[in-house]
Amino acid sequence: MRLTIFQLENWREIGATLSRNKTRTFLTAFGIFWGTAMLAMLTGGAAGLKGLMNRNFAGFATNMGAVSSDTRSIPYLGFNKGSFWQLTTEDIDDIRRIAPAIEYSSAMNGTSATGVYSTRSKSAQAMGIEPDYGKIMLPRMYEGRFINERDYSEVRKVVVLGRNIATEFFGNESPIGKRLSLNGVYFTVIGVAGQLGEASIMGRIDDSYIIPGSTLRQAFNQGNKVGFFMYTAPAGHKPSENEQAIRRFLSGRHAIHPDDDRAFWFMDMAENFEMIDGLFLGIAILAGFVGAGSLLAGVIGVGNIMWIVVKERTHEFGVRRAIGAKPADITVQVLSESVLLTLVAGTAGVCFATIVLGLVDYFSADPVLGTAGFEIPFGKAIGIVLVFFILGSAAGTLPAIKAMRIKPIEALRDK
Amino acid sequence: MIITLRDVNKTYPGVVPLHVLKDINLDIERGELVSIMGASGSGKSTLLNILGILDNYDSGDYHLDGVEIRNLSENRAAELRNRMIGFVFQSFNLINYKNALENVALPLYYQGIGRKRRNILAMEQLERLGLADRATHLPGELSGGQKQRVAIARAIVTNPSIILADEPTGALDSHTSKEVMQIFRQLNNDGMTIVIVTHDPGVGAATDRIIRIVDGEIMNSNV
Repeated sequence: MRLTIFQLENWREIGATLSRNKTRTFLTAFGIFWGTAMLAMLTGGAAGLKGLMNRNFAGFATNMGAVSSDTRSIPYLGFNKGSFWQLTTEDIDDIRRIAPAIEYSSAMNGTSATGVYSTRSKSAQAMGIEPDYGKIMLPRMYEGRFINERDYSEVRKVVVLGRNIATEFFGNESPIGKRLSLNGVYFTVIGVAGQLGEASIMGRIDDSYIIPGSTLRQAFNQGNKVGFFMYTAPAGHKPSENEQAIRRFLSGRHAIHPDDDRAFWFMDMAENFEMIDGLFLGIAILAGFVGAGSLLAGVIGVGNIMWIVVKERTHEFGVRRAIGAKPADITVQVLSESVLLTLVAGTAGVCFATIVLGLVDYFSADPVLGTAGFEIPFGKAIGIVLVFFILGSAAGTLPAIKAMRIKPIEALRDK
Repeated sequence: MIITLRDVNKTYPGVVPLHVLKDINLDIERGELVSIMGASGSGKSTLLNILGILDNYDSGDYHLDGVEIRNLSENRAAELRNRMIGFVFQSFNLINYKNALENVALPLYYQGIGRKRRNILAMEQLERLGLADRATHLPGELSGGQKQRVAIARAIVTNPSIILADEPTGALDSHTSKEVMQIFRQLNNDGMTIVIVTHDPGVGAATDRIIRIVDGEIMNSNV
């Protein structure tokens, strides 16, 4: 048998047939085009959504937990229901000793502060931190340095300005070394920082005054109070592993009923991230499901239209058979048509999806946070086209075999 | 002899089997222009299908240009149809999305002949039938007579042993019918063997010999 698939003549014949039956070709091609585009867009879209979320949490330790004091919900040892207990620096020292799974930690204090420089003033959150805060939140330094051990231990009056605050006070000028007052106390600016992501605790770094926690407590009369205590668990551990020890210890020291769950505020980012991961797994599964559905619909569409095509062209095939077409010639013709269609339309669909994803990526890009990654890897794109190619060809096989089985005499009678 | 049929029988199976051809004996010589005439249901179309290797027969012998036609595979039948037989149909059966030249060239495509050579050969036949200026027209843009001439060009482009025409004037007016018959006469003068199936006495009269078929049996052959 002639290997018609490899002959230019055959392709010329197929090209002519396809281009002379524009509506039919378009309808078939559109099914495939849409199927591949959907699949590619869903794949890239799911990746982009995940990218968007990850972008928010950039620079945010995912295995972070925190604890803070709250009001008692059970009366205990003379303390009323609704009474408040206060987390202190002594508590933090002891928690560091007894908690089983803490890698980095920082006590946090906050107060609202009005900064004044020259004639300008700006009210914002002042964050009192420990140096390890920088290992939990990973701030992005625009200028200067972050708070270090000596700043903390020597209770220095230094401040790291949030990026937006620095711009408001100093414009394009460098604020390093400048002195500004916070609630009347003068601080030396040592750095300008911002966040990598969107998520924050206590407020965005970009809009805060960051000073050593020791300085904040002393300068603003907070004594030994601590707002809350944040910590990360070492690799292989969960932040929540510390909760029980912390609770037992704090309950004993602060006269809290052992069953009083509401006297503590615990946060576990790992749990939230697990939930988010689960959510994105769900989205990925849904995208895969819908994508597979559109894939199937596209393929069934090809099979369906090729089936109609074969019925519609039965008479033509009869004429071709009468003048010398062999059964295989007809099969190859029908099959080649669906193969060529799936290949061209599939490639076009993936290209279209790439353009759409590119636009979404472009418009969702953040000047600071970067792009979310609405894109589909080259290998995956090729994979989608290949899957369509194989399934599309398979879908064309049945009609092609049907076309082959048509007897010329019956086909000629078919009008 | 170009066609020899010996005791050919054909029965269509069914609840009531239909014996459409009964012991057909038929000889057609090279260079003849003959017509097969009969009423509808007489078996003339079945006979044409068997002659054209489009249908099988149950018993007997059929030789076409020295080749025994019996139990052929679909591929072999297609090859013999392509090389030995030129079909002309009542409804022309041109492929409507191909232009006249492409239609004429199509049988050569199935012979594996290259496009350039195909188009040269097809153009020669269109010229021979006076349709050179219609080569790029689609069938829809041609008159009935022109369509049938394109179909005839397609039938002769492979230089077959025989032309089988099934009611070739059935869809044409009387004037065009005469033209088509003149073309057949001309081709016959050039040495082509032509068999025309018809129920039109006028067409029959324009051939050299009429084979009458009644209820599946050949009645007589007038020379």
